[in-house]
Amino acid sequence: MSRRGFVLITLGLPFVFYAVFVLWPFAQAFIYSLTNWSGFSDTFDFVGISNYEALLNDDTFLQAVRNNLLLAMVVPFVTIALALALATLVTVGGSSTGAVRGLGRSSFYRIVSFFPYTIPAIVIGLIWSQMFDPSSGLVNGLLTGIGLDQFTSFAWLGEVSTAMPVSMFVIIWGFVGFYMVLFIAAIKGIPSELYDAARVDGAGRFRMTMMVTLPMVRDTIQTAYIYLGILALDAFVYMAALNASGGPQNSTLTMTQDLFNTAFKKGQFGLASAMGVVLAVLTLLFAAVVFLVNRLTKGKDR
Amino acid sequence: MATVTFDNATRQYPGNPKPSVDKLNIEIADGEFLVLVGPSGCGKSTSLRMLAGLEEVNGGRILIGDRDVTNLSPKDRDVAMVFQNYALYPHMSVADNMGFALKIAGVDKAEIRKRVEEAAKILDLTPYLDRKPKALSGGQRQRVAMGRAIVRSPQVFLMDEPLSNLDAKLRVQTRTQIASLQRRLGVTTVYVTHDQVEAMTMGDRVAVLKDGILQQCDSPRRMYDHPANVFVAGFIGSPAMNLMDVPVTDGGVDLHGHTVPVAREDLTNAGKHVTLGVRPEDLELSSDTSGIPVTVDVVEELGADAYIYGTAEQKLLEATGENAGDVPFIARVDGRRPPEKGEKIYLKPKPGHVHVFNAESGLRIGD
Repeated sequence: MSRRGFVLITLGLPFVFYAVFVLWPFAQAFIYSLTNWSGFSDTFDFVGISNYEALLNDDTFLQAVRNNLLLAMVVPFVTIALALALATLVTVGGSSTGAVRGLGRSSFYRIVSFFPYTIPAIVIGLIWSQMFDPSSGLVNGLLTGIGLDQFTSFAWLGEVSTAMPVSMFVIIWGFVGFYMVLFIAAIKGIPSELYDAARVDGAGRFRMTMMVTLPMVRDTIQTAYIYLGILALDAFVYMAALNASGGPQNSTLTMTQDLFNTAFKKGQFGLASAMGVVLAVLTLLFAAVVFLVNRLTKGKDR
Repeated sequence: MATVTFDNATRQYPGNPKPSVDKLNIEIADGEFLVLVGPSGCGKSTSLRMLAGLEEVNGGRILIGDRDVTNLSPKDRDVAMVFQNYALYPHMSVADNMGFALKIAGVDKAEIRKRVEEAAKILDLTPYLDRKPKALSGGQRQRVAMGRAIVRSPQVFLMDEPLSNLDAKLRVQTRTQIASLQRRLGVTTVYVTHDQVEAMTMGDRVAVLKDGILQQCDSPRRMYDHPANVFVAGFIGSPAMNLMDVPVTDGGVDLHGHTVPVAREDLTNAGKHVTLGVRPEDLELSSDTSGIPVTVDVVEELGADAYIYGTAEQKLLEATGENAGDVPFIARVDGRRPPEKGEKIYLKPKPGHVHVFNAESGLRIGD
């Protein structure tokens, strides 16, 4: 085969697929966002940026954006903090004499905490919505069981003040185990001599975590932050399962839910496409911010 | 500064039938440079890590000065350690690496800076203080690791094969530097190496370990001249001592038909056979054919000296009628007139320079 033919096939073919199935839909979405297409007709008019203007004045959508931003701020941070703390415990958090090691039975904790990740998101959402059911849920059953009678028919997912925190809890519950395993792998990649050196230098567990573990796994943290951020900016499955309607006063409504409703219930594909573009831009911005923060805190020096 | 005492210190890994360090007893004097040496897996690094607190002690005690540190965590032992791969914190500058322990100890910044700069001056690291470890050469990293230990002025320095990642020339240089630095600072030092040349050249005393058991702990000179057993005899010295099983005869032992005189009283309880050891430099070229006939296989010329690697042919021993088999011999000869490869030479041990060991126990017989 000629050199040109080889390049054409190995580079050209994938690029064609990429262009047709990735790049073109992106462009399409942007084009539709400038129209009033209803989704099921073959005609539409270009309306300029009026869809975007509409979004700026759409209180429901703005509420959804706020909810997503809140998710993107809380979920990655809490998940990573918990996962990192647990990973530290099972890898280097054990006895302070003798070789650096984790707690006893650490492989047991590791397997148990990984379980939630093997359950499909929709199942997690449905299970927890049952758990938090006001009258027949396990959570209220347990709370009233230990004498907290004010929770007898407390609607966790029906109160503005608790719906969002509870939803966040469910997402975090579902992901901590996976990120814990990810961080365990990263921590195991750190040469154990570094921990030995830190211990001989007089560092306790907290110092070792701050001065050795964190700097050594910061690239993994960055990756995890971006993954979790993207997840939090989506969160569709969890939110749809927990509160299909967007929660009390739209307090758990996400952009993706709003987009779905706008496109498939209201038949406004043009407007929904604009929402999609906003979501994509926010996601990219989020990733950029994570990179920037890592940069500014000298992550590149490693 | 302090003494260090291993008192029956034992380390047995779970699931391992034999202890990795078995009842180690060493007393290290204040300011002494002790080298732990042995083949890989002999327990030398484990012993050092036990002293650092990085390995548990299952039996016995370890004392630094009068303080029992057996169950203390590493941070409470006041020891500094230099690791084989240096274990520098990659995200910290050289100065921060060196000052890390002081920072944890809560020493104020100006004082840290002062002590780091002092140490940097000693180690020629002053121009590199603001660099990250990855921007340094291997030798410089090694010096930073040393500096990190010096800055702390600890009671004991622990060094775990700190030179094994350097190239041969730098290793020899650094070897001398470390030894003289230690003499200057006067800090008790325990140094682990598998390289017996390092052990002999650096240590005030050398402790040889094998399979977790201390074989001998002595000054390099005494270790060389009076190895306590066959293992130490073969391990210390390069090239290794010639060791062979020989039958006991009247007035000595029979070395390939050549009677080597050994004091009668030393052989009374030794049985029919003993292990005879002769260092390469204690074999002389015989001017006639009175010695052991050896065919030269390889000649290693080192300039001043040459080493001959040869084989003594199979021979029926007169004393017992047994076949001695092919016996390899290493001998040192004058580098200016070495024999040719394939030549047949006759070797004789210098009288009084042979070592005799019990053939079964391997222990030294006589002085």
